[in-house]
Amino acid sequence: MKRIDDTVPAFSAILVLALDVVLAVVLQLSGLWITMILVGALGALFVRRHRTAFLTGFLGVLIGWAILYTYAIVTAQGLAVADFFIGLLGFSGLGWVVIVIGCIIGGLLGATGALLGRSLIELIDDLIGGEAESESEEPSAA
Amino acid sequence: MKRKVANLGLSLIGPVVLIILLTMPIGPLAGGLGILQPVGGIFDVGKGVTHPDTEMVYLPGVQSETRIIVDEWGIPHIYGQTIEDAFFGLGYMHARDRLFQMVMQNYLAAGRISEVIGGMEYAIESDKFQRSIGLARAAEETYQWYVDNAATNPDVNYSLRAINAHVAGVNAFINSMTSENTPIEFKILGFTPETWTPVDAFIWAKMMTWGLSGGVRDLYREMIRAKIQNSTMYSELFPDYWPYTVPIIPEQYNLSLSEYDDAPGGYPASVVPPAVPAAAEAQTDLIPQEKLDRILSVLSSVIDFFGPMEVVGSNSWAVNGSMTSTGEAILANDPHLSLQAPSLWYEAHIVVPGVLNVRGGTLPGTPGVLIGHTANISWGMTNVGADVLDIFVEQVDSANHPGQYFYNGEWRDFEVVDEPIRVKGGGTIDFNVSWSVHGPCIDSVVSTFSLDEEPTPNLAMNWTGLSVTHEILSLGILNRANNLTDYFDAMYWWDSPPHNFIYADTEGNIAITVAGRFPIRSGYSGYFPVQATNDSVGMVSNIPYAFNPRSVNPSQCYLQSANQKSIDPSTYGFTILGAQDPGYRGRRINELLDAATTVTAEDMMRFQADVLDVSAREILPYVLDAWSAVGSNASVQTMVDELVGWDYRMEVDVAAPTIWTVLMDELRDAIFDEATDLGVSAGSIGLPVVEWVLKENITHYFDDQSTPGVESRDDILVVALEHTLETLTADFGPSVDDWIYGDRHTIYIGHLAGLTYIGGGAHRGGRYTLNVGWSWQVRGGPSRRMVVDYGASPDYYVTYPGGQSQNMFSPHWDDLFDLWYAFDLVTEHYGYYLEYNFTTAALFEEADDGTMIEYTLVLLPRS
Repeated sequence: MKRIDDTVPAFSAILVLALDVVLAVVLQLSGLWITMILVGALGALFVRRHRTAFLTGFLGVLIGWAILYTYAIVTAQGLAVADFFIGLLGFSGLGWVVIVIGCIIGGLLGATGALLGRSLIELIDDLIGGEAESESEEPSAA
Repeated sequence: MKRKVANLGLSLIGPVVLIILLTMPIGPLAGGLGILQPVGGIFDVGKGVTHPDTEMVYLPGVQSETRIIVDEWGIPHIYGQTIEDAFFGLGYMHARDRLFQMVMQNYLAAGRISEVIGGMEYAIESDKFQRSIGLARAAEETYQWYVDNAATNPDVNYSLRAINAHVAGVNAFINSMTSENTPIEFKILGFTPETWTPVDAFIWAKMMTWGLSGGVRDLYREMIRAKIQNSTMYSELFPDYWPYTVPIIPEQYNLSLSEYDDAPGGYPASVVPPAVPAAAEAQTDLIPQEKLDRILSVLSSVIDFFGPMEVVGSNSWAVNGSMTSTGEAILANDPHLSLQAPSLWYEAHIVVPGVLNVRGGTLPGTPGVLIGHTANISWGMTNVGADVLDIFVEQVDSANHPGQYFYNGEWRDFEVVDEPIRVKGGGTIDFNVSWSVHGPCIDSVVSTFSLDEEPTPNLAMNWTGLSVTHEILSLGILNRANNLTDYFDAMYWWDSPPHNFIYADTEGNIAITVAGRFPIRSGYSGYFPVQATNDSVGMVSNIPYAFNPRSVNPSQCYLQSANQKSIDPSTYGFTILGAQDPGYRGRRINELLDAATTVTAEDMMRFQADVLDVSAREILPYVLDAWSAVGSNASVQTMVDELVGWDYRMEVDVAAPTIWTVLMDELRDAIFDEATDLGVSAGSIGLPVVEWVLKENITHYFDDQSTPGVESRDDILVVALEHTLETLTADFGPSVDDWIYGDRHTIYIGHLAGLTYIGGGAHRGGRYTLNVGWSWQVRGGPSRRMVVDYGASPDYYVTYPGGQSQNMFSPHWDDLFDLWYAFDLVTEHYGYYLEYNFTTAALFEEADDGTMIEYTLVLLPRS
């Protein structure tokens, strides 16, 4: 049986970031924030280093959610909703803080999912074929 | 390998921590931070406010195409082919626009609010109280009555069909709810609503009944009587018939006993009531004072949807064509209730060709129009405020007969009903309620057993509203009524809560019925708690419906009601128990209509906006005369200068209304030290008593008991003025500029769950004005204004403080409030919208100029 990292090609971080953004937007349409962990994990298939996985997962979901928040602000009073929410906590007029916090939460979901995915991949590869050499195969563009 | 396992273990920490953080309740945010996601969380509610021009919705339960045209105010016009389709549509729209409200109010009424908002102390107290008064149990019994009688009574059958269809519509919405139309409150609270049942409709009806005719006035009276210990003083300060009252009924109009031979709701009636003992002869010391205080303290903290009894009032009047510019009748009504967001009211127009064409204010969760009109008649409501609830102190002997009470010569077991209270987030609180033959023991709500000799609850509540009641049946008939006879038939079934139903029609008739079941008592007065050990003492019968206070086309050509005494007791053979409203609003309406010759609908709007305080006009001259006679303090003079020349109107740009509002309380405190010295709050003494004491110069109340001398009326009124200045200075500041009424008297309409509010601005009116506004921060008042003009059209003008939508991001969250609040200085009235009342959807669509229809919802059958 071939190791995962030998089967799945490694892409540049930019490409993986773009993939994560698209995945974040698409999977978030399901309305399930937990799928953002999956976004990070899927992105981690295409990188070989934990640090890169973390960054692409974090930024990918953060940007994906930022796009969706922007759409909500433009079309569905998203900022008013955010203002209302933070008003419940006694901070009226700081709706943008909710958006920022939301983006960070999304980013963290992606990032932690990516770390988990990368670790899982490496463990499985280890079980399959001994010590992985994936990190040395990281493209220089990354 | 070990490193990889360790990496995996470490990298698991992040997702696990995040999952916990995003799902765990944080304070009131029981839904967790996960609701902040951009799709599927709270941000979807902003999308739920937009609709395509035509929205096709396929739902199980729809029999045939039902068009629901939503007009520019968000008001649905439901055009169904059958009763089932029409009420399915109403249920669907109720749920779509007000589901959170419906759930909250029903969970509250059923004593289950802890399941929604958690185990806060006030929630658990509220649940215990609601379980103790047994609304849910009464609702189930009432529903069963409808089921049992549907086969033999076509009107019951109609109502049951409407109820079932309405429930199906509510559930159709619940079952098809998306993230976009799920109320944001459910997301924040992390709550998923259960499906609706027919009993739910009755639970809310019962809650309305409790809010408008419940309460424990017997206990309040007992507390005061026990403190005063002087029957003369008690009867003077707490009369059952306020001085100077103009009763509702000017000329009694009886119906035929042969046609209506029993009491409202089909209950037994007696034409000749038995003699009852005077209130002064009532048993005393049945309940220890400490126990009374504790029970009343608990009851005062219970959540009350309709507002405290002092704000539950209303205005209504009708004039016949001889007084109007068009020669046709005009009717006006503005029920005063707790103001909340979303409103208690939800406007709807329901049409079934040849069967139903009714329009008006509905209560979300109940199938029918409560206040409104059909094609030919219109009606409004004011609360009667009669006492239809008595407290029976069961005789118990815990040592020898535990769990029993003595009745009709034997010891009987209390029925003990388990009422476990489930709490959101964990646990169940064991609770049970004891029932005697008289009803549930309301002292089950609080452990007072250590305070007296009875180790079990024994204060049983006998309340007409806890019986099988027929308000939904009554509305079912009224919603299809087209003439006076239909109106009388509908009123026959209105047994609870007692309400004054004012009426006008296209034929020029006007009428008012003090509708409701009024008990006839035997062996006791009904004013105070009583011990009844046999069935000769109790509510033994009822006033016959034919003799309920009623007036039809009186010679004065108008009728009016503002919760005051229903009928002059000296002219009526039965007793409607309770002091009812102090009567200032009634006096004001009466003088306005009495002076009117030719009135228009716009005059009625001006009357509804009227803020002249009759109590000030009647009392203040005595105060100012006293100051002229014996006053001398320069600071007080500055304050008095504001009152001199005041036109008694509670307007927001002057200081006099603020001074008067404080002075009202200070007058009572200064005059009635005899009562306050005994621990009775002066605020509980009605203002008409102050007026009576001043006008009749009842000198023994003017003497200040704490001084060696004897004070005169003028002396004590000056003291009240001096105290007023002290209070104003302490509360608001020393300058007259600090006392401008509009800065102090503001409107605040709070969200049901306290998430937001509507209003915040200055509010015209006071406690006793037609445009009422109780307390500094006004949270109760005209909950819906309606003027019906049977001119050429006829025209129906309506508004209420809020909006149709529960979604605070919808334009229909508060658009009607803007109308309700906008006082026009030129026209001197508030804004109203003119109803659209098209009999078919096609006529509505044809008439639409592009602004009348917002969108159309088409409900279609789904197999």
